[in-house]
Amino acid sequence: MEEKQKKERIGVYICHCGGNISDYVDVAQIRDLAKNEEGVIISKNVMFACADSNQKEMIRDIEDEKLDAIVVASCSPKLHLHTFRNVALRGGINPYNYTQVNIREQCSWAHSDTPGEASIKAAGLIRAGIKKVSFSEALENIEVSSTRAVVIIGAGVSGMRAAIDLAKMGNQVYLIEKEKAIGGNVAKWKELFITGQKGNTIIEALSKQIRELTNITLFTGATIEKVTGSIGNFIAEVNIGDEKLNLKSGAILVTTGFDSYLPTEGEFGYKNNPAVITLPEFKGLIDNSHETLLYNNRKVNSIAYIYCVGMRQTKGENKYCSRVCCTTAIQSSLTVHEKFKDIQAYHLYRDIRTYGKQEILYERSSKNGDIYLKFDEKAPPVVEPIGNKLLVKVKDELTKRRELELETDLVVLVTGLVPRSDSKQISALLKIPVGNDGFFNEIHPKLRPVETVINGVFIGGSCQGPKNISESVQSSLSAAVKINALTKNPTIFLEPIVARINFDACVWCGKCAEVCEYDAIHPLEMYGKTVASVNEAVCKGCGMCAPVCPADAIDMAQYSNNEIEGMIDGFMEKVELVAEAGDKLQDGGEEGIAMKDMPLIWRQLAGCLQGDSKSIPDLAKELGLDSELVTYNLMTMNKYSLVEADKLDDSDEYFSYKLKNIPHVQN
Amino acid sequence: MSRIDPEFASEIKKYGAKDFSACFNCGNCTAVCGLTDKSVNFPRIFLRSGILGLKDDILQSREIWLCYACGECSETCPRQAGPGDYMAALRRYAIASYEPTGLTKLIFKSNPVFILFTIFLSVMLGFFLFTLKPDHEVSRWLFTVIPYAVIHNMGLVIFSITGISMAWGLITMYLKLSKTVVKSEPGKSNFVNAWREVVKELGTMNRYQTCDKEDDSYWKNKPAAIQPWFVHWSIMWGFLGLLLATVLDFILKDPATAIWWPSRILGTVAGLLLVYGTSLSITYRFKKVTKTYRETRLADWMFLLFLWVAGITGFWLEISVAFGANYLLNHIVLLIHTIISMELVLLFGFSKFAHAIYRPLALFFYFRESQQKN
Ligand SMILES: Cc1cc2nc3c(=O)[nH]c(=O)nc-3n(C[C@H](O)[C@H](O)[C@H](O)COP(=O)(O)OP(=O)(O)OC[C@H]3O[C@@H](n4cnc5c(N)ncnc54)[C@H](O)[C@@H]3O)c2cc1C
Ligand code: SF4
Ligand code: SF4
Ligand code: SF4
Ligand code: SF4
Ligand code: SF4
Repeated sequence: MEEKQKKERIGVYICHCGGNISDYVDVAQIRDLAKNEEGVIISKNVMFACADSNQKEMIRDIEDEKLDAIVVASCSPKLHLHTFRNVALRGGINPYNYTQVNIREQCSWAHSDTPGEASIKAAGLIRAGIKKVSFSEALENIEVSSTRAVVIIGAGVSGMRAAIDLAKMGNQVYLIEKEKAIGGNVAKWKELFITGQKGNTIIEALSKQIRELTNITLFTGATIEKVTGSIGNFIAEVNIGDEKLNLKSGAILVTTGFDSYLPTEGEFGYKNNPAVITLPEFKGLIDNSHETLLYNNRKVNSIAYIYCVGMRQTKGENKYCSRVCCTTAIQSSLTVHEKFKDIQAYHLYRDIRTYGKQEILYERSSKNGDIYLKFDEKAPPVVEPIGNKLLVKVKDELTKRRELELETDLVVLVTGLVPRSDSKQISALLKIPVGNDGFFNEIHPKLRPVETVINGVFIGGSCQGPKNISESVQSSLSAAVKINALTKNPTIFLEPIVARINFDACVWCGKCAEVCEYDAIHPLEMYGKTVASVNEAVCKGCGMCAPVCPADAIDMAQYSNNEIEGMIDGFMEKVELVAEAGDKLQDGGEEGIAMKDMPLIWRQLAGCLQGDSKSIPDLAKELGLDSELVTYNLMTMNKYSLVEADKLDDSDEYFSYKLKNIPHVQN
Repeated sequence: MSRIDPEFASEIKKYGAKDFSACFNCGNCTAVCGLTDKSVNFPRIFLRSGILGLKDDILQSREIWLCYACGECSETCPRQAGPGDYMAALRRYAIASYEPTGLTKLIFKSNPVFILFTIFLSVMLGFFLFTLKPDHEVSRWLFTVIPYAVIHNMGLVIFSITGISMAWGLITMYLKLSKTVVKSEPGKSNFVNAWREVVKELGTMNRYQTCDKEDDSYWKNKPAAIQPWFVHWSIMWGFLGLLLATVLDFILKDPATAIWWPSRILGTVAGLLLVYGTSLSITYRFKKVTKTYRETRLADWMFLLFLWVAGITGFWLEISVAFGANYLLNHIVLLIHTIISMELVLLFGFSKFAHAIYRPLALFFYFRESQQKN
């Protein structure tokens, strides 16, 4: 790798964070240390680095001092990386010639009890940052052209609803359904909680809208065979009967839904006894019965529901709760109560999870006289035939673990939701990971709930985990909006932090391709030899490939060998700080520190307070500042023993403040 | 292994607990009840027994008698399952089950039967009273229809049946409760101590006084004299005092003894307590001061009213004996007083009042067991 030009005019900004950092870290000494580093032109302390005024000052510095790189030592880059990249850009330097050093979370907050150590660590980190930035390269965002089309896999309620919105936002939508009929699971349920609407009514309404939208193409009986390409330009190979189609799309939305858990033979007597059925089967039975509930031509007078079947297994595979089954069972029981008179229901449960408004259904069912019995996972109910009925034995946790038995005509196994049997296949096809539970995984359950680690591939609905209809639709619609934000621009910009191959050195051993989880590396014929090449739109910059390369042919943008080695060297160098008596570097020393530099507003406040003491409203008026800002700054000044409260003002409402200890401050 | 009986809940509902099926076992009621401790746990677990139809759990329990129906639990229940009302219903159910004649069941379960029965009894008692004055016109006519001996013996039989069924009920309860006793040498001192505790409790209502003491309780800063425990205490001791005074009078065979006679003084004091207690109780129920009083069953109304009338008419007679009054009016009042008092005595074992004999027994079991546990 050719030796790059090192940066020679670096600006360093060390933030007080209004005391958050400077209370513990000796920012002034560190600033002076940084000034002596190779290539550093200016090193400054700032009260709030992110403040508008400071951003402007930085831009001015870049222009005036012809800076070619900047370092900000402040909070976590999660907060302000993009803020300062932007500052760099506005000042006229490449945003990737910027490094943020986290001295708040990693120094002042983490080591508040040992300010000396915190300061030394901060100094080391800043030096590492300076070294890194001095080797940094200017990078350009990767530009990818995008197709304004979306492939949606699975035409259940989630897929259908997202298709409609995406189409309305102007995307060509290819909706691909494996089955002959659309609607997925919802089409099977007649009575839905909580609204009492019918499943097929909802599906028909969606289906009508889909037919009306000309930019939705629906393929039924269709399967995805292969997916190539990357964000902006996926190509999905679809089989429809004997026909094969290649669909080009900018993004892919996976809404393949779930399977209902199928009990094993003999689980609570399933399959051994015909009167033991699953909840989905039972829902079908309710829908097809009129006036009397008949099962195998016999009238049903009592029903025992056994909950959590196949779910929440502490030992087994399905550790999770399926969320919808409690409510579905209770809803079914209510329907039975209304539709057929005089049927006694027993609910054998582990916990009832009718969260939110669904709780009302639970209460109604209890009031109807449904009997609830709570069992422990370790002592599940036992189902035995007795004559042409069933005997269920249960240890009831709510009655001092009493062994109870009941006679019933029908046992309904309240089965939960499991990942679709073919979800492994989809996962392999799209390279999207599944979680421990077997459902597709998002990047972050709270902050990025519908994106996958594969750029351009999104998940929505119950393929991500058990969800009821509202939750399924919420997630698929949020994916739709995310997708549209991508596809609406003809060009997509991606971060340039990717692996780069030195073709001269590469001997195509294939090791890197092997370890790349995202399948970003493929062989390429070049200059008459085979070399590794990285698809930049696919590469995540994870860095897995670099260390395995025997030829050292891989360098990561922003994390090149030079940069990483520079950081290590920088951090290793000894930091020498001077600890003076009363200085905060002496652990447990005085709270107040010598402020060598006061922010502008403090200087203004101090100016106003020469002479008489003044109240906050008066100061605010005099300086033309927001009184909140004045309060905040006075408080901080008070902390540094620069001002103190004097007496109540004339209105008896506000304290006035006076100067206390200003001599050691150099204005 | 016990069999669940889903029909049982509807049986209990007939005794006056409507909503207890709504219970979802949160246990707030048990937590808030001031009378539960290490050894006794209620009311939640008994709602469970009712819902599952575990009859024996109820009939073998002392806990249901420890509850004084303060209603605090009902105020706390998030499902409005009315655990306090439910406990009261269980007591009615238990009384009806212990008592062998089945009369209590009829009275509790059906208002019309109850009313008819009360009227019938009044008429019977009225006739019966005339037989005490054999030379009266009505009596003479009566004796031509039914011979004196028959009437007299019938009276004895009825009173014996009442007595026997009460004794039967107590024995049944004793046997049931004994089944769940944790066996551990019930020593003699235990026995005596336990009864001493029972008497102390009946005398002071100490446990009742600890009821409903939450900060937001209606009774929090009210004077003791108008608190439910004192009202209950007044009615109970008023009634017992009057019963004793009547018996003493009867033994002394001279109802018109001078006013300073001990039995007369007892009668006066007891009568005052009774009228005070019943008046307050009737007012509370009428005004529905707290949720506990929001629903009063007909049988409860009748008995409170009967007690009150018995008390008031008693005073009337007292005063008229001292000052003399209209002869006919006095006789009518006397007739009412006697009929109502007799009804109260006759129905004692077949009504809510029977708790006065069952509760002490349950308290005895409770005190004996809690002593053993300590
Ligand atoms: C018994 C029961 C009762 C319920 N009752 C209610 C209720 O009353 N109210 C409520 O809100 N929720 C209810 N739910 C939950 C509800 O069913 C789900 O929230 C809903 O079905 C989720 O919709 P979905 O589109 O995400 O998945 P699904 O309904 O499962 O749809 C997925 C679709 O994708 C298709 N698909 C799968 N794989 C592929 C592939 N590889 N290629 C092409 N297509 C594919 C499937 O064929 C299917 O059409 C119930 C669930 C159960 C188990
Ligand atoms: S929703 Fe209810 S039945 Fe379903 S897994 Fe969760 S707790 Fe069990
Ligand atoms: S590991 Fe290195 S040498 Fe091997 S193919 Fe990848 S880049 Fe080339
Ligand atoms: S950096 Fe990660 S994603 Fe990119 S090519 Fe290397 S291993 Fe693959
Ligand atoms: S407070 Fe109500 S719901 Fe809770 S256990 Fe008691 S009766 Fe049941
Ligand atoms: S009514 Fe009062 S004494 Fe009875 S169970 Fe409820 S809280 Fe306890």
